[in-house]
Amino acid sequence: MINRVLLVERDRLMLEKLTQVVQGTRGFELVARYQSISDALGQGAIFNPNLILLDIEKQNSVALIADFLKVYPKASILCMGEKWQAESASHIVKAGARGYIIKPFTGVELQEAVDTFAKMGSESGCETLVFFSPKGKSGKTTLIANLAVALARKTHEQVGIIDADLQFGDMAVFFNLAPKSTIVEAARDAKFLSPITLHSYYMPVTQNVSVLCGTETPNLSDKVSIRRLENIISMSRSLFRYLLIDVPPGFNPTSIAAAEKSNTTFLVSMINDAYEIDHTKRALEIFKDWEDYNERVKAIFTRVEPCNSQSQQNLANKLGYPVTAIIPNEYGIVSDAADNGKMASDIRPDSPLARSVDRLADEITGRGHRIRWEKS
Amino acid sequence: MPDIEKEIHGAVFTFFSTASAVGKTLLSCNMASELARQRKRVCLVDFDLQFGDVCNYLQLLPQRTLADVQQAMLMQGEACHVEEYLTPYEYGGVVFYVLAAPKKLEEAYNIQSDYAIRAIRQLQTKFDYVIVDTTSMFSVLNLALLDLSTIVTFLGIVDFIPTIKNMKIGSDTLNDLNYDKHKIRMVLNRSNAKTRIGIDDVEKLLGEPFYHILPNDFRAASQSIKEGIPLVLKTERTDLGEALRDLVARYTNQGYEESDEGMDEYVGESWLSRIFG
Ligand SMILES: Nc1ncnc2c1ncn2[C@@H]1O[C@H](COP(=O)(O)OP(=O)(O)O)[C@@H](O)[C@H]1O
Ligand SMILES: Nc1ncnc2c1ncn2[C@@H]1O[C@H](COP(=O)(O)OP(=O)(O)O)[C@@H](O)[C@H]1O
Ligand SMILES: [Mg+2]
Ligand SMILES: [Mg+2]
Repeated sequence: MINRVLLVERDRLMLEKLTQVVQGTRGFELVARYQSISDALGQGAIFNPNLILLDIEKQNSVALIADFLKVYPKASILCMGEKWQAESASHIVKAGARGYIIKPFTGVELQEAVDTFAKMGSESGCETLVFFSPKGKSGKTTLIANLAVALARKTHEQVGIIDADLQFGDMAVFFNLAPKSTIVEAARDAKFLSPITLHSYYMPVTQNVSVLCGTETPNLSDKVSIRRLENIISMSRSLFRYLLIDVPPGFNPTSIAAAEKSNTTFLVSMINDAYEIDHTKRALEIFKDWEDYNERVKAIFTRVEPCNSQSQQNLANKLGYPVTAIIPNEYGIVSDAADNGKMASDIRPDSPLARSVDRLADEITGRGHRIRWEKS
Repeated sequence: MPDIEKEIHGAVFTFFSTASAVGKTLLSCNMASELARQRKRVCLVDFDLQFGDVCNYLQLLPQRTLADVQQAMLMQGEACHVEEYLTPYEYGGVVFYVLAAPKKLEEAYNIQSDYAIRAIRQLQTKFDYVIVDTTSMFSVLNLALLDLSTIVTFLGIVDFIPTIKNMKIGSDTLNDLNYDKHKIRMVLNRSNAKTRIGIDDVEKLLGEPFYHILPNDFRAASQSIKEGIPLVLKTERTDLGEALRDLVARYTNQGYEESDEGMDEYVGESWLSRIFG
């Protein structure tokens, strides 16, 4: 489909610059351009545009979008501004725009923006899932990697992973990636990025799963400030339907900041016959500061033997809190998989591990509860 | 000239790793026990501030913790005596002391490394050995602790490749910090656990052989944790307990010749180069 572009930009020089970009990009045709909003609203429809590039700098963007939607109900609106701001971005999406792009942009960025926002579906909204563990070796990186693949397979939606286990992030090894860019570069450039340009810092794993890899060496972890990390999370939310975040073990500025930004924080511990349940309990107490912790904090135990509802109930009793998921002891499969850069659930899709991960994915997408009358 | 009594500063043995759950706490509890069994004055310090296991593994209920030490240092300055904040561990006539991690997570979060390090410095004047258990990361506290340690035991296990990657990163970082070669000792725990990765491949990758290797014995390890009795103090002998004793003997130079530690050992390519190539 060819993009028939209506360009609305107050600044004369910027209008010229963007005109050239649109005209020079394959698949895009500039059908009309205006400096005046009133002209654009009154005259542009004559040219039947399907993509509106709308300057919202220093304007009431919500009202503006509403006006354009009234006149151009079938067109997609991409807002343009000088700088990415998380709040205004979520406002404009709520107001009905497809997304946001920083101007000036290149043809490649324009193409990417349109592709990405088309894939996302309009009323997407992102579920941000943070995986917190009191101590390391909880099985959470294994879980995140497999869960991401399962979510993408089930929903066909875009799934992103941020490896914010800043000193010892393992995600790149799990997916056998040699990342060209990592969270360090993304943090360095965050100020100048929009979601679209941030997307190129993610490494694609499958058609629907991409990973923002962790630092290469621990000393680089200083380069990812909390502000920048929050920024990266906010931007990533407009790129994915599900955003899964791996964080360092314990309470630290990174894990706390990520958890604060989450819709759901999973508290993950591995059953080891020692004091893991006590540790989980103590961590849970901290999260009880959240008013909505009941919905927002979910407990998961890995390496549970036997992995059945009885064990799940026993664990819940000991913890004094519901246990959302249990993952079976499958050391052989998960370590083989990680050693070979493959997913355990791909190697053995019928294994108990794959099935528990699937169940958790259903729980997250709401399919675990809802009866679906309509055919999907 | 009058004879000035010289202050003696005891040794600090720190257990560190870049992968979690490798046995730092198990080893530090056993080392403290074994040294105490040899009638040394020993203090075990838990620097896994948030989720420390020392008091769990020894089944202690401390009245006072590092949080109280920090508080006292803030209030009293030099007048604070750390030895008043210790909890004794006693079994079969063997005694050593524990400086416990804070009870509350908020307290743990607010420990400042300056005070924690000052506590260690003070303990060094009272004990022959200060054994310190840590968390698996390069934090400000851990770096300061590594600096002042006499010996750092860099502990690893070989379970799967990400762990090995993190061990390699850890040993490279320790190298970059330029510590004396003999100060850092790489020890492998759970050596014969189920895994497809060969120890010599790992040694090649790390560029030096392990100083000491401890066997895998999950039953003995978890039994001793459940009972709250370190393996070296039990009457029942286990391979793991013996290997732990051997390690302590080597740290205190009892009947062991230092080997060359294979300083010029050939370091070749290994299949792990998938990640490190
Ligand atoms: N369900 C499981 N059953 C058995 N072993 C597991 C399971 N999940 C993970 N492991 C093993 O536990 C170790 C830690 O897993 P990992 O996912 O890296 O945890 P974390 O990210 O919390 O450190 C690895 O050796 C891994 O193979
Ligand atoms: N040599 C060993 N053989 C079998 N299990 C061990 C061994 N050493 C430690 N473990 C077990 O590994 C787990 C982690 O040990 P721990 O000392 O708590 O590690 P860390 O302090 O490094 O996190 C414990 O459950 C312990 O019982
Ligand atoms: Mg991990
Ligand atoms: Mg420990």
